[in-house]
Amino acid sequence: MTALDATRVAVTGVGVVSPRGFDGSAAGRERTASPEGWFDHRTHLGRRGYKYLPTAAQYFLAASNRALEAGGGLDHAPPESRGAAVGTNSAAEALHAAMDTTITTGSATDLSPATAPFFSINLFGSRMAMEHGLQGFNLTLTSPRVAGLEAIQTGLRSVGLGRADWLLAGATEEALAPLDPAVRDSEAGAVALVLEPARDAAARGSDVLGHLVVRSGYLPPGTPAPEARERAGRILGEGPGGLALRDATVVAVVDDSPVSAAVLGALGTDVRRVPAGAGSLEPLLQIAGLLGSGAEGPTAVVTAAAQGNVALCWVIPPDRTDAAPAATPRDEA
Amino acid sequence: MDDVLITGLGVISCLGSGLNAFWDGMNRAVSAPRKVADPHAHMDIPHMYAVPDADVPAPVEALDGQPLGVASRFALDVTRQAMADAGLVDHDPWRTAVVIGTGMGDAGLHEQWRTDGHPEHDRWNATFSVASAVGELVGAAGPNTSVSNACAASGFAVSLAADLIRSGEADVVIAGGAEAYSRVALGCFNRLGAVDPDTCRPFDAKRAGTVFGEGAAALVLESAAHARRRSAATVYARLAGAGWSCDAHHTTAIEPEGVQITRAMRHALAEAGIGPAELGCVVPHGTGTLINDTVESRALAGLLGTAALERPLYSLKSLIGHTGGAAGALAALSAALIVRNGTVPPNVPRTDPDPECRVSLPEEATALAGSAVMVNAYAFGGNNVSLVMQEAAA
Repeated sequence: MTALDATRVAVTGVGVVSPRGFDGSAAGRERTASPEGWFDHRTHLGRRGYKYLPTAAQYFLAASNRALEAGGGLDHAPPESRGAAVGTNSAAEALHAAMDTTITTGSATDLSPATAPFFSINLFGSRMAMEHGLQGFNLTLTSPRVAGLEAIQTGLRSVGLGRADWLLAGATEEALAPLDPAVRDSEAGAVALVLEPARDAAARGSDVLGHLVVRSGYLPPGTPAPEARERAGRILGEGPGGLALRDATVVAVVDDSPVSAAVLGALGTDVRRVPAGAGSLEPLLQIAGLLGSGAEGPTAVVTAAAQGNVALCWVIPPDRTDAAPAATPRDEA
Repeated sequence: MDDVLITGLGVISCLGSGLNAFWDGMNRAVSAPRKVADPHAHMDIPHMYAVPDADVPAPVEALDGQPLGVASRFALDVTRQAMADAGLVDHDPWRTAVVIGTGMGDAGLHEQWRTDGHPEHDRWNATFSVASAVGELVGAAGPNTSVSNACAASGFAVSLAADLIRSGEADVVIAGGAEAYSRVALGCFNRLGAVDPDTCRPFDAKRAGTVFGEGAAALVLESAAHARRRSAATVYARLAGAGWSCDAHHTTAIEPEGVQITRAMRHALAEAGIGPAELGCVVPHGTGTLINDTVESRALAGLLGTAALERPLYSLKSLIGHTGGAAGALAALSAALIVRNGTVPPNVPRTDPDPECRVSLPEEATALAGSAVMVNAYAFGGNNVSLVMQEAAA
């Protein structure tokens, strides 16, 4: 299988943990300040062993558990064939701020030894890998706003190149520190997706929720408007099999930056705009919403960051071939 | 499958800025950590192998008008060097991508704001925009990715860059890593008791942890076809193979049997199509932490057999410290230089070699005996990547 065959990889499980809800319907609700106590690790993970795990790690573990349960578990995939890719921008920001205050107003010796390792942002996905024996790989992507989509893209490319046969991809974020200038745009929660070869899903009788194909690129923020719109259009390009964005239902997760303006210009007017947050979670929430929407035609989620990162994820509904049992050797894909 | 070649390099570290300063420093094998200048660094051992003040690039604004942190400035410096070294001037932006590994991104900028005051706006300043800054500099319209797998981040970045070429998504990728001083990172390592109060001394019996370093490296990766078309002047090495694994064992501790780090090394060799005998040198992860160096030594002995006692290791971290998310790229750059020059530079002398670490660390320069050099990069969370650099012709 090559990266070009990514449409043959299917989504078989979705897990959502958000103050807006615990399934894809959260995508349709507005982002507001997280209500107090919206997530209790004792309820979602268990009463013991998670108290000192930072919240963004708790969110991602809970979302992963939900996705795995929905996808029928992972006993069929050997540990060394299991890969993971996690996107995050702000999982560690508030924790860093608190640690920094401890250091600057007191001493590093006052830091909690339980949370000190989590200065490293890749640990927010590591507990999930430990609990589920993911030994293929466990990537952490942090590109502004597109990190969640890049987790899907990079994970699928890595599966396509044979680094794993089964993938858990998603994003997790925690609210920014109270003094951060952008705190009102904070995101909190996680989304996890289980992806595997469609033939494996069919062989197990697992429901296929859809297929994902991600494109990404870079648009320099200072590009003059007409050229920026043209370049944005070229980054978005056409979809698998010649799909055109004008024929798809498109959700644009954008801010008020010139880069987002260029992307919106390239998309035209017939898109649903969703305000971007200070992180990489919202695009994944929108994908979760589309996967459960029952849409018959292709849909897409587009996002952009003021720093120039642009990404698009096609969400393609399952077709009748997804229900067919595997009848040919694995090399068909 | 088209070869992936390394055709340009750029580097900054405690040895200074530029390839010549780096190679000369490797051959002098003398360095020392120094106390960080931050008056707010309230911790027991506030030292690191810092980039000399004179070599720190001046503050700049970029992207959406927000200031860039020191890690981004390092990354821009080494990217300029690597692009000039490669002679890349007319590359197709749509076939050019960027992949940068960094553990902390521009966290130092946010730390400065916490003590000096935040800027007067309410816009989001993403911590991990180092790759974005490089993308703007290079004019690369292809995928632009920030990887943050801690101390293995830029090892993965180099591998992901090669994957972009091998999957046909790019012809040229600027790959590398960047890491600058972070008060939070150094404070947490102090709290974990993982900082050596003396120097970074991997495989030494008296090692007592690691010592952080600042630095960045950029590598221009090109498909062989692209390099041929433009008659690339220099080919340092081919990136012949990469292997990944995840311990899935513990948050911070390495899996003690080294099963997964061995699997990553074997996978990298298999992808390169060579056996261990072809390895003329290994640039190990070797951080100076007690267990990690022992486990890696045993894994190398398992891979190389009795040859492990003679096959030279080049212990980069004993010279420039542990550069965190930049470490894999700096090691890959070192490996490319070793392949290109056919020489393994002298290691920083150990005062008390650890008998538990049965490895060879020559203190004199030695000729590279073998066509390839392996690089290991490991991280918290058990994230492992091994790379194989091999001799190549343009």
